[in-house]
Amino acid sequence: MSASDQIDLPKGMAGGASTRRILFNHLAILVCWVGLWEIGSRAGVIDPLFFPRPSDILVGFWRLYITQGNIWFHLGLTMAEVVAGFVAGSALGIGLAFVVGLSDTVRRFLKPYVVVIEATPRIAIGPIVIAAFGFGWTSKIVIVMLVCFFAPFVNTLNGIINVDRDQLDMFRSMRATRVQTFRKLILPEATPEIMAGLRLAMASALGGALVAEFIASNNGVGKLISTYTGNLNMASAFVCVLTLSAVGFFILRGMEWIDRWLVFWTDRKRTEAVGRKRAQRWQKGGKL
Amino acid sequence: MATDGFAVPQEKDMPPKTAQIPATDSPAVIAARRVRKTFGDGRVLALEDASFDIRPGEFITMVGPSGCGKSTLLRIVAGLIDHSGGDMTVHGSAVTGPRNDVAMMFQKPTLLAWRTAVENVLLPTELAGAVTKADREKALSLLELVGLKDFAFSFPSQLSGGMQQRVALARLLQTGADILLLDEPFGALDEFTREHLNVELMRIVAEVNATAMFVTHNIGEAIFLADRVFVMTPRPGRLARIIDVPFARPRKPELQLTPEFNALVAEARAVLGGLE
Repeated sequence: MSASDQIDLPKGMAGGASTRRILFNHLAILVCWVGLWEIGSRAGVIDPLFFPRPSDILVGFWRLYITQGNIWFHLGLTMAEVVAGFVAGSALGIGLAFVVGLSDTVRRFLKPYVVVIEATPRIAIGPIVIAAFGFGWTSKIVIVMLVCFFAPFVNTLNGIINVDRDQLDMFRSMRATRVQTFRKLILPEATPEIMAGLRLAMASALGGALVAEFIASNNGVGKLISTYTGNLNMASAFVCVLTLSAVGFFILRGMEWIDRWLVFWTDRKRTEAVGRKRAQRWQKGGKL
Repeated sequence: MATDGFAVPQEKDMPPKTAQIPATDSPAVIAARRVRKTFGDGRVLALEDASFDIRPGEFITMVGPSGCGKSTLLRIVAGLIDHSGGDMTVHGSAVTGPRNDVAMMFQKPTLLAWRTAVENVLLPTELAGAVTKADREKALSLLELVGLKDFAFSFPSQLSGGMQQRVALARLLQTGADILLLDEPFGALDEFTREHLNVELMRIVAEVNATAMFVTHNIGEAIFLADRVFVMTPRPGRLARIIDVPFARPRKPELQLTPEFNALVAEARAVLGGLE
């Protein structure tokens, strides 16, 4: 169900000799690729001004992370903006969706606004937000918030609205209270959709922060990239981009991991594992 | 079942049999007096005045095409929807909403995907309060009763459609209600599974001494299961006829091949005839 399933190595091969062979093939291809780039650049086929040599990028890594060590501060700042904006934006989106989803009146009232916001590219408000909140990190957080608000909002709302009518009737016939119906039916039922919304939000959060920093900023990885590019220091700009690739990869992997842990019942293997665990807990007389 | 070949005169205009006199001394467990339901500010009549008494332990089936009000009637008994007129009483008290002594099962299993079978069965207990050791044992024994002893810790996604409905049946029994309302519970399953589950359902309902109201659109199924069949006709929804089914229990599927059985099928078809 997740994008990672497609790149995952076949499960049966995990740890086996074939895994090592596949890994070796991948590495070999990568080395060839990087080697060709390096040779092409030195032979004058690739312009090193815009596409720096792998060796230069490697030196850049050493410079930015060790000798100058300046990327740490900017990366930390950008990540702080991303995390703060993501948490605030998605919390707002999910919270508002619950308010809206559980009340027909509010839903009808808010519908036109939702349609308008959906059609508006969120980043277009960027310059206005910066004008209002300044060049500092506050404006970046607000922009990330705006970027992160919508997907969790829409998904949560869909999750709530799409709860099966028969299931609601079933809870009603068992005389469940509103709180019970919410906790034991609506919330878990909506969780897969909420998580999908959060993953979408997280994927765009990093981009939102960077664009905000491109627009106007004194610090952050986005600012670093635009400065290096302006100085034609492409190797350092590439270091920043590759750093962001790695950060993005780990963030998305982390989200997938949380998703699988939380929404275990959509994954066959996880379902089997959780079933075994619950059977053990039951035998010990533990809480369900 | 569109063309049935039974050339019986239409009896649509026959007045509904009202207020059946109980055959035993025991008072009616479900009693309806001119219960009606309208929608859209009284403009649409979903169920015309229906009156009947259901005795303890009786197995009632309601059969008829879509729009005949059978599900509406069931939901009124369940307290899930209000009736617009008349009196509906269960165990002598008026139905004003969902109640402890009435439980309902739906065409969809309506299981919670994130709970194992036994956790699903325990849901009604959990909603009512704390779960005790005795409740857990009851849940396991109910799973055994429906033939899922070895699947207590399977999740719904690991079970077939028929097994999911068995879990739903165990959950229905876990409520402890003595009135079971079943809205086409096996309607989405294949013919073989359905027949098998019907036989088991009869056994289980008899074992727990429950009173059952079972909705179906299959005439054969309705007669096979029932002590009495409520034959209902649409536009407006109406309880057109109540057919007594005298066959002894336990019943075997072969019963459906007997002429007596088919005579009752013909009788029900006569009421429903010309509708399809």
